Amino acid sequence: MDRDRALALLHDMLLGRKFEERCAREYMNGNIAGFLHLYPGEEAVAVGVIHACEASDYIVSTYREHVHALVRGVPAGEVMAELFGKRTGCSRGMGGSMHLFDPERRFMGGYAIVGETYPVAIGLAYGIAMRNLPEAVICFFGDGAVNQGTFHESLNMAALWKLPVLFVCENNQYAIGTEVHRHSAVPEVYKRAAAYRIPTERVDGMDVLAVHKATEHALRQIRAGTGPWLLECLTYRFRGHSMADPGHYRPPVEVKAHQRIDPLELALRELSPIYPTPEQIAAAGPDAILKLRQYCSDQGHLPDEDFRQLEAQVDAEVEAAVRFALESPEPSLEDAWQALLANRRGETLL
Amino acid sequence: MKRPITMPVLSDTMEVGRLVRWLKQPGDRIRKGEVIAEVESDKAVMELEAFDDGWLAGPLAPEGSEIAVKQVIGWIADRPEEAQGESSPVEPAAPEKAAPPPAPAKPAAPQKAPEPAAPETAVSPVVAAALEPRREDDGGITPLARELLAELGLSPDAVSPGPDGVIRAGQVLAAALAPPAPDLRHAPSHRVERPSALRWKVALNMTRTTATPQFRVTTTADLEPLRDFAHDRQWSLTLLLARACALAVAAHPLFNQVWTPKGLARFERIDIGIAMDIGEGLVTPVLRDAGGRPIEELAEDWRILKDKVRRRRLQPQDYEGATFYLSNLGTFPGVRQFDAIVPLGASAILAVSAADASGQAALTVSCDHRVVFGADAARFLDTLVTRLQHPEGLVRS
Amino acid sequence: MAEKIRYWQALNRALDELLAADENVFILGEDVGLYGGSYRVTEGLYAKYGEWRVRDTPISEDSFTGLGVGAALMGLRPVVEIMTINFALLALDAIINLAAKVPFMAGGRLPMGLTIRTPGGVARQLAAQHSQRLEHTLMNVPGLRIVVPSTPQDAYWQLKQAVLSDEPVVVLEHELLYFHEGPLDPAAPPPPPHRAIVRRRGRDLTLVAYSKMALLAQEAAERLGEQGIEAEVVDLRSLSPIDWNTCAASVARTHRLLVVEEDCRFAGAGAEIAAGLTERCFTRLEAAPMRLAGLDIPTPYNGTLEARTIPQVDDIVAAARKLVKEGS
Repeated sequence: MDRDRALALLHDMLLGRKFEERCAREYMNGNIAGFLHLYPGEEAVAVGVIHACEASDYIVSTYREHVHALVRGVPAGEVMAELFGKRTGCSRGMGGSMHLFDPERRFMGGYAIVGETYPVAIGLAYGIAMRNLPEAVICFFGDGAVNQGTFHESLNMAALWKLPVLFVCENNQYAIGTEVHRHSAVPEVYKRAAAYRIPTERVDGMDVLAVHKATEHALRQIRAGTGPWLLECLTYRFRGHSMADPGHYRPPVEVKAHQRIDPLELALRELSPIYPTPEQIAAAGPDAILKLRQYCSDQGHLPDEDFRQLEAQVDAEVEAAVRFALESPEPSLEDAWQALLANRRGETLL
Repeated sequence: MKRPITMPVLSDTMEVGRLVRWLKQPGDRIRKGEVIAEVESDKAVMELEAFDDGWLAGPLAPEGSEIAVKQVIGWIADRPEEAQGESSPVEPAAPEKAAPPPAPAKPAAPQKAPEPAAPETAVSPVVAAALEPRREDDGGITPLARELLAELGLSPDAVSPGPDGVIRAGQVLAAALAPPAPDLRHAPSHRVERPSALRWKVALNMTRTTATPQFRVTTTADLEPLRDFAHDRQWSLTLLLARACALAVAAHPLFNQVWTPKGLARFERIDIGIAMDIGEGLVTPVLRDAGGRPIEELAEDWRILKDKVRRRRLQPQDYEGATFYLSNLGTFPGVRQFDAIVPLGASAILAVSAADASGQAALTVSCDHRVVFGADAARFLDTLVTRLQHPEGLVRS
Repeated sequence: MAEKIRYWQALNRALDELLAADENVFILGEDVGLYGGSYRVTEGLYAKYGEWRVRDTPISEDSFTGLGVGAALMGLRPVVEIMTINFALLALDAIINLAAKVPFMAGGRLPMGLTIRTPGGVARQLAAQHSQRLEHTLMNVPGLRIVVPSTPQDAYWQLKQAVLSDEPVVVLEHELLYFHEGPLDPAAPPPPPHRAIVRRRGRDLTLVAYSKMALLAQEAAERLGEQGIEAEVVDLRSLSPIDWNTCAASVARTHRLLVVEEDCRFAGAGAEIAAGLTERCFTRLEAAPMRLAGLDIPTPYNGTLEARTIPQVDDIVAAARKLVKEGS
């Protein structure tokens, strides 16, 4: 992977991490309300997958989708403003954290009912297939969502009609507080694809380059007209399910163990010609950002100076996003009616 | 033997089917399960299979015709000869109107689980459910009536409610057209009670008579001979007075008419209504054909009527429809003269006062001026007085 | 020029013309293609337009309805047929959480030209699971429009208007109306899809009804006319939004309201109609509005009992007579 692409991945992962940590702070400040599901730990999936897409592909995501939107290019200010419920938010303050939309960037939404992303995705894919376009749809879902009926219904239809969909399972191993082996008879999600003869691959979802590579491969097949693919990305969220969830159901040692394989660190390991030894990893300590810096300078991709610059740049982006959100106006009830009646095209009713 | 082939019921919604075409002709051998015709339902064109072996027999329903389900469309004969014979013709039947199945004799399911079976009722369950929350109002004002009251500036106190106690628009309009009601705002404190139905009805009827243009003519008569006659012969004085009125009316048929919006109604019989005081109001039992029947019969009727009044068993047919009225206050010695109001449905009423020391009593007849005039009334009274002077003439038929 | 045509044929013709005129239109549902639709509404369209425009789906109501939502998000005009409204219960997430919400949650930035066709109501002895009327469930969802055509003419036009709208529209059909025959004049300019129509003039009371009950109400009104009671019949045609003006104008003239619905009485569509008209016409009422509705009971299989649980023409006549008699 060339340096520019690698740095772009790094930038987005760093942005995703810092944006989410800032969201937690703003939630506690009272600027963000409602349900807030954060992404730290899973960045390699959104970054790896979406960087492998074309701008003409559609993204359908879940309620833990801030980072997907950011990676897709939705301005951080518009995402933060939406979380703040402001008029300048990407959903005009009507959607909030779980419902980010940006039709221009074909970011087709965050969906808050588990299992909803599949039918929406196959609908978009149906339109693409009907019109015979070289586009594809990326459908994100979690490991908890594979037990909804829509998973089976939609995979069946996608396979039956060879629809251009890439199903991406972000398997963070917990359906809120229920671990995957306690909610699924077959805990390996990729095995379920076989039931619909959908080609599949299980990848290390903490490894952004592996995810990126697998996505590129799958999308090539999909664009060749072979029908859907399913990618299972094994990942882990460092925080609880939502801000309201302390995550006590997970042994601290498990969380710590996953934090030691922070995807940011792994990203750099992939960039390195020589894999670090376990001793090196241990020496780097638990702070992923420190490790990242260490490996970057080790590999010569990112001298300390440049990394500090990148970090400062991301900090400034997040800060600007918060300022934009704070300074933006509240939507009016009139705006809400406008959002509801936009499709009425001015037709006057009684 | 021939067995009928009927239009099959092919779907849950099918009422009629179209016979698309016959695949066999009369006389053709057909086997069980063989397709013999095509039938179109509301859902699809379906094949009609023979349910038995035999020979197809006519008459067959015409191709293209629409036939109600379960109607005969053709026949299957046991032997080929039979297939050539005649059978009752098949008419393309108009679909029956989507009538609900007949109501069962008993409601099969109770409405509410804990209760025993719902009682037998003529009202269907859905209508019963619609009526259930509606209570018989014993008061109140409908919204429309309330708005009319406001528009017309009327107080609800000025409106007589309907029979169910509710004030509706019709009653408000009636009140608006009626004479003003007393304003009791400055009167001493009081309580308003709804009077008895009888009093209510009388009040309503009396109010309605205010549209009748009336005049009165008074004469005097010596009633001593009549009183003596009644006393001697044990006749009721009221009965004899009513008889006298009837005979006078008979002599002056103008008085046996009533004014209607379409013209004068001329009665073919004289029925005398007699005002009776019953304490809390007034009733008017009617002596039918008081001029034409023997006095003995009238006396018996009068006895029965008085008994019904006493026992409060008077029916509408007992007190409605008089053509002439009589009001007698002769039992109150102080009443020197009074006049009565002509009730609706009649043209005149006679008011009889008490006699003075010389035996003279005032007789006042009130008349509807649309029906009779002053001179008519004078002539009528003249006849009446003459009749009263010769009481024996009253009891001869 | 009007011709006599069946209800299902009017829907079929509308779909045929829509498919021919706009390549963004496509149909999907169970047995809509090769089979021609369980009530023949899509008959012949598969052969004419091919499998991508007329798609037979697996039995997956939630997902194929959601598929329609996804396709509508990119500007297509899917027409989803759900075989009966009873199966739509499996698709309520797609209808209520997706179709009605996504355009709003996106700040009004996404189209939702989705049409859902589905028949409901009591047909002939289909038992409790197949005889439901669920209009009340959908009426309570802002962002959905619901039309309830009672005639072939309305079926033809209201379906066309629904498909061409960028809002999600549920076309509630009735299983017993498909075979109903009536005039169709495609040249006659249609009223707006939400406009109610006064089917019969009368001065003594207003019957408000929709779908099959609108036909029964007209039949009852004729019978009442022979008995000297002149009932005005308002066919709602749309349950969301409701044309309050037409209804209120009628009630203001007649001063009495009888709502006739096949829906269950408790919290049914009629409750909204009665409440809405009481609010609008309170001072014009001479009697409390009356709702003649289906009993609050699962529909029994037995045919006699089935008929007794929903209003029949006789019931409408009886209820109207009671209402008119009140206080007069």
